Amino acid sequence: MTYNKHIFSGALAVLMACTGLASLPANAAQTELRVGAASADIGNLDPHFASSTSDRTLVAWIYGALVRFAPGSTDPATIEPDLAESWEATDNNLVWTFKLREGVQWQHGYGEVTADDVVFSLQKSADPKRSAFATDYSAIKSVEAVDAHTVKITLANQVPSLLGLLTNYSGGFIISKKAYEERGEGFTRNPVGFGPFQFESIEPGVAVHFKSHDEYFRGKPKIEKVTYRFLNAAAGRDLAFTAGEIDVAAGSTDQRWLQRMQATPGAAIDIFDPSELTVLHVNRTQKPFDDIRVRQAIAHAVDPAQIAQFRGPEFTRVAKSVIPSNNLGLNPEPGILPHDIDKAKALLAEAGFPDGITIKMIASQMPSYATTDQILQAQLAKAGITLDLQPVEHAAWHQMIRKDLSPLVDYGAARFPVADTYLTQFFHSASAIGQPAQVTNFSHCSVADKQIEAARTETDAKKQIELWQEAQKLIVADVCGIPVTETAQVWTRNEKLDWGFELKGSMSLGPLLTEQAHFKD
Amino acid sequence: MTSLSTLPTPTAGRPQPRWALLKRLNFSTWLGMVIVTVLVLCAIFAPLITSYNPNDQNIILYLSPPSAENLLGTDQFGRDVLSRLLYGARYSLTIGFLAIVVALIIGSLIGMIAGYVGNRTDIILMQIMDVVLAFPSLILGLALVALMGATLTNIVIAIAFTAIPAFARIARAGVITQRDREYVQACHAMGFSDTRILLRHILPAILPEIMVMASLWMATAVRTEASLAFIGLGLAPPTPTWGGMVREGFDNILSSFHLALYPSFAILLLVLALNLIGDGLRDAIDPRLKDAS
Repeated sequence: MTYNKHIFSGALAVLMACTGLASLPANAAQTELRVGAASADIGNLDPHFASSTSDRTLVAWIYGALVRFAPGSTDPATIEPDLAESWEATDNNLVWTFKLREGVQWQHGYGEVTADDVVFSLQKSADPKRSAFATDYSAIKSVEAVDAHTVKITLANQVPSLLGLLTNYSGGFIISKKAYEERGEGFTRNPVGFGPFQFESIEPGVAVHFKSHDEYFRGKPKIEKVTYRFLNAAAGRDLAFTAGEIDVAAGSTDQRWLQRMQATPGAAIDIFDPSELTVLHVNRTQKPFDDIRVRQAIAHAVDPAQIAQFRGPEFTRVAKSVIPSNNLGLNPEPGILPHDIDKAKALLAEAGFPDGITIKMIASQMPSYATTDQILQAQLAKAGITLDLQPVEHAAWHQMIRKDLSPLVDYGAARFPVADTYLTQFFHSASAIGQPAQVTNFSHCSVADKQIEAARTETDAKKQIELWQEAQKLIVADVCGIPVTETAQVWTRNEKLDWGFELKGSMSLGPLLTEQAHFKD
Repeated sequence: MTSLSTLPTPTAGRPQPRWALLKRLNFSTWLGMVIVTVLVLCAIFAPLITSYNPNDQNIILYLSPPSAENLLGTDQFGRDVLSRLLYGARYSLTIGFLAIVVALIIGSLIGMIAGYVGNRTDIILMQIMDVVLAFPSLILGLALVALMGATLTNIVIAIAFTAIPAFARIARAGVITQRDREYVQACHAMGFSDTRILLRHILPAILPEIMVMASLWMATAVRTEASLAFIGLGLAPPTPTWGGMVREGFDNILSSFHLALYPSFAILLLVLALNLIGDGLRDAIDPRLKDAS
């Protein structure tokens, strides 16, 4: 094997030498950024629908919000002004008034950002027909424009973190009312925001092109042009990066990939939060999963420690609960069922399936998902559970699981790091697939509605956390979802590229691109 | 009025079976046959050659190099690569063979009917075949599998569908050259049914050409199956298919290039062998081609 590796390495070196690509090329005064994404194509660039990692990454470059996480961080304590230059709230935190910056310009010449745009955007975010995150904004009673640069938000009840809902994340993004109304459905592939980079064009399946938004209110971006290439195959992406065809590339959560990249001259690695929690959601409304013993059997058959060991400790750890471990309100011991094959078999037999069961599961072809799914398939097989994987392209998978077409959904996600968001989106009955305000409650879980709702309006912080922890306990006990692993984001870049901040976290799941990003001479 | 005694017999003018020409097979053809036979035997006796289950994961040993325990190493899930190759041969050969059998039967029937009946039937049937033929086989197969789902049956149907026009064309051409021969006229005079004339008398005469086409198209079928699996439209995981192994190996090509190399070589070997057989049979059956070469 070593011999083979040497031959291959030698051949690669000769090839690179012949093509003048033996090392990463110098990027003196480079103003074009070329990014390699682990994605096959664009899904939806309307930020209120963008749910794939790739789409989320892009909308964070295009749009801004009232407030934002400090670049490089996912800590709510770092939330700082973005479009809003200041804000104040009444004593009961039910009425919030935001003062907007003046002179902030939309991309593509759509004029100045005004309070009307903010009102339109937040009303859209709260509308289930025009937003995938409407549930998060259900507490908003009204949004009004006091004047062109003042917005008043009135809440029906207190929420855990209103500022969290108004950040540069999911439904918090502000869109141009005029552009949205003019472009209609075309807005999803021809967006207008006020962020540092404006959308230029799409080459389907090939790339998305951006240019700097020269009137960006924080200053003209140092990067002038961005090409976001779809390089879904990890090996192709790595080769493109090594050959200097791209400057940044989505990495692989694989130990060998990390070792190889660390040894690549001129390459820097970014491993950052949020870690995405992978949960195996089980649809409780479909047979035979309406029998809790079947769900428990699946939970006992899954071995998260093996998957974490496979991926490597640099990126992955065993999940602690049904919400990410960085969330405020985590219950570190919610009573997760231990890995126990014998118990799984016994439960299946008790449920009337002594010979096991076969489950059809629609699976994403994205490599990270495909790998996890095949390991899960092998683990479940040991308990007599045959997982009939039906792989589809990642964007199609996102659509199909939102139509209840797969009784098991292996879903990795990170959300605003307060328990309410994750619990609401994944485990509250209002978010269940098929409901008017459906989000990502694939299991049709409803056992913790009372606790989730009570926590949302609880003013005593301690009691609020207790309610969230109780909710997790109930969800785990009912096996709505089986927590598997938490995996951090990993990207590699040309070491000459400076993000302009220390990249420790990015809510968009990809590197945040700001006006500060530049190539060092 | 012609007396019965003066009519030609049903065998008069009928081409003699050309299987004798197989004696003229060249070395390459025999080499192809040996390779295919070896691969078929490997597929049949896979459980005797390797003790590993091709789907058993051993995550601790993932991406291991070749060793005494795992002669071709392990893949990204720690599965034995040799066992996956051997079991994968079953699927490649089965899909290739079944798809061609289906295409041969349906295509030949269509072609024979078109050639024998002629007129409007011929025009309509062959124009339909031309439409199907206008699509590249991979694109057509891809569309059908995407539409129907990637099961063994559907993949066989999809690949067979792409190959039907080729068999229809060659069967039609064969029937047209045979239908006015004396032995066919004799069959008519004897009052044989059209079905009997086609299946019992004309088919044996054109079968060698059809078989040559079958061997050449089986190589195409194997390639199409591997291509579908490579683009993610093959049999669902963890089923070992050669195309799927290339796809999975591609993700690790920079650290373990052999994972993609072994199944690629297996595909190459099988397709090459089938092409050698097809070319050899064609040369032996059609002396003009041999003379030309």
